[in-house]
Amino acid sequence: MKTLLNWLDQRTGLVTVAQTCLNRPVPGGASWFKVWPCTIAFTFCVQAITGFFLWMYYSPGAQTAWESVYFLQHEVIGGWLLRAVHHYSAQTLLVLIGIYLVQQIIIGAYRAPREFVFWATVLMGLVTFALLLTGDLLAWDQNSYACTQVRTKFLTLLPMVGGEFYKLAIGGPAFGHLTLTRFVALHIGLFGGGFLLLLVLHHVAVYRADTAKSKSAEKSTPLWPDQIMRNTVARLVVMVVILLLALQHGVSADHAGVALGSPADLDPSNYYAAARPEWAFLGLYEFSHLFPGELAILPIFCIPGLLVCVALAMPLLGRCRAGHYFNVAFTVVILVGITVLSFRSVAKDRADADHQIAIADEIAQADRVRQLARSPEGIPATGALTLLRNDPLTQGPKLFKQHCAICHDHLDAQQKGIKAEESSAPNLFGFADRKWIAGLLDPKQINGPGYFGNTAFKGGDMAEFIEEMLADLDEDEQKDIEKLVMALSAEAHLRSQRELDAKHAEARQGRQLLLDDYGCTDCHKFHDKGKLGHGTDLTGYGSRQWLVGIIANPAHKRFYGKENDRMPAYAKDILSDRDIALLVDWLRGQWYVEGLGIGD
Amino acid sequence: MTPPEQPKSSDGRRGFIVKTIALICGGFSLLIPAAIGVVAFLNPLRQKSTGGDFIKLASLEVLPEDGTPRKFPVVADRTDAWNRFPDEPIGAVFLRRTAENKVEALQVVCPHAGCSVVYEASAGEKTGKFFCPCHAASFGLGGERLDKTSPSPRDMDSLDVEVRNNTEVWVKFQNFQSGAAKKIVQT
Ligand code: FES
Repeated sequence: MKTLLNWLDQRTGLVTVAQTCLNRPVPGGASWFKVWPCTIAFTFCVQAITGFFLWMYYSPGAQTAWESVYFLQHEVIGGWLLRAVHHYSAQTLLVLIGIYLVQQIIIGAYRAPREFVFWATVLMGLVTFALLLTGDLLAWDQNSYACTQVRTKFLTLLPMVGGEFYKLAIGGPAFGHLTLTRFVALHIGLFGGGFLLLLVLHHVAVYRADTAKSKSAEKSTPLWPDQIMRNTVARLVVMVVILLLALQHGVSADHAGVALGSPADLDPSNYYAAARPEWAFLGLYEFSHLFPGELAILPIFCIPGLLVCVALAMPLLGRCRAGHYFNVAFTVVILVGITVLSFRSVAKDRADADHQIAIADEIAQADRVRQLARSPEGIPATGALTLLRNDPLTQGPKLFKQHCAICHDHLDAQQKGIKAEESSAPNLFGFADRKWIAGLLDPKQINGPGYFGNTAFKGGDMAEFIEEMLADLDEDEQKDIEKLVMALSAEAHLRSQRELDAKHAEARQGRQLLLDDYGCTDCHKFHDKGKLGHGTDLTGYGSRQWLVGIIANPAHKRFYGKENDRMPAYAKDILSDRDIALLVDWLRGQWYVEGLGIGD
Repeated sequence: MTPPEQPKSSDGRRGFIVKTIALICGGFSLLIPAAIGVVAFLNPLRQKSTGGDFIKLASLEVLPEDGTPRKFPVVADRTDAWNRFPDEPIGAVFLRRTAENKVEALQVVCPHAGCSVVYEASAGEKTGKFFCPCHAASFGLGGERLDKTSPSPRDMDSLDVEVRNNTEVWVKFQNFQSGAAKKIVQT
């Protein structure tokens, strides 16, 4: 063993280097206050190790970045923990550097001969910010995309070169594949590598300063084992803290570790309004709001730049006593300022109802895309965003709000849902299901706001028929109407009523009532009987094809013909066939449900 | 030369405890992130390759009566990590009629190193043979090796065939590890 070590040392000198490091003198003896550099180096190690394995799963590309993170988070055993440890060790790194810096300032440890120790630490802090900023985007979800969009747009504030800097930062005129490839390279290569260099510089500077000092100091002990024991205990504590942070949301739920939002949508109309930077940037975020828009360059570039300059000048300022006091006071003011601003920002958001709604919507969307990604069809090559864009449950409410909720409500029995700007057409919640049709045939409801109340059909032929013929029914007649409702509602083939519709006997009686006793086909067409031209076609009433038809063109003779009230023909220039189909599927409840599929 | 375990300071029992704590804490703290990473690294071992299902490849009529082999693509859903691609070509199979109602199937993948075997209908001779262009292995129509010393460690890989409803040719499509003397299914 000894000869082997000797041989190794002769050839490489490694054993001597290791011994020198282990036995290097610690002036003033071992202390728990001296563990910070080691914990910083350790946390960076955790970053490097977990980052390396994350790298194996990451696929930078606008249609693969989110998808690969999704895969890691949900399909790879322990993938979520890997992500979470990487995420929280970055936060921890920043905190540790902060503590170390403040300690150096307070005890005046930045003074000669330790200037380089201090400068290296400040730069490590800045590089950690850069690591956080570049790493944030890589998940490529709505929040990280929106935040990075804003941050990179700040570059355009710079005079003359702003536009060019922006393009260089994001790899082109707009976000996309090249933004991600660029950010990966910056994150790992430049900032990861840069941090390592600074760490080495820092440790060399510490070694030099300590060796010089130990010659004069009355008491000094070697690093091994007393100080190293303290260092490693501190390291383990840091690791446990990181693990606890990573495990705070449990281990098995979909939300274990760091939540992954819904995939980044470059469509500006789907911009995520509630995007907020990570806690470390909240102070700056709030600070920038203190300035009017034209002066944004001050809080974003000038003032932070000035602060960094002051920080870098501290070792020089600290040479005199007054300078040292200034440094300490300056640090306290900055820390207090950042804390106050950060809390103010959080408090503002808490009180902002719109902000909370936007967050809830985004969480719902993230849940939804996860369900769709897990469906047997999986994620298509065009990316997970396609799943959301083709999903009636996601797109239906948006389309309804934009195009239908001018007149139509979509409100359930508790009056929850989408309220029309000015309710002036039937409430379409549960359209064509039994309850809805029963309401339509109810003399008390037909002229109410949920049906014809605010339309041209109020008091029209249909309403009149219902009020005259269907009022004051005896028990048998009421049963008949129930059967008629079943028959008509079965035409819609709604998924929610599949079991109910399967009971044929009553529906068959209802059909007969519809055709004969109640004479519906005097005005309406129903399969082979009756003619088009007066009332709407009852054949397939509320079915997918029927709804697509009426939205496409309500003035078609199959629907309202010349009597059409105000409803526009959406197929002409307003909605694409695809959008109409999405809207119809949403109205009919025909979307993918885990375990049930899409339905027919 | 003094190994780091025996420095001059901190001797005795206290020194021993301090050193033990240092080694244990130092080891564990690094072991945790490394272990988490390695678990994720090993995930591919859990993933199964597709195949093993019977797939309908052709109808009986298109196979020549004289037993000339024909190559058919195998089309199936393909999964690539998070992406699913419906109906993609995932391989190919030679089908050959051996009797009125009997069909033999051979993997096109060469058992040597995984090249794609081609069928050569040689002029003059009555029947052709299979030939692998990569290292010049020849196989007979039944997939048997023809060279005295073949680069291929085994005969071409046959696949299970079922003729259903007297017309449909179904094949249990599988891939096998190349280079081995035995047929080993890739999982
Ligand atoms: S791969 Fe076919 S002979 Fe080598």
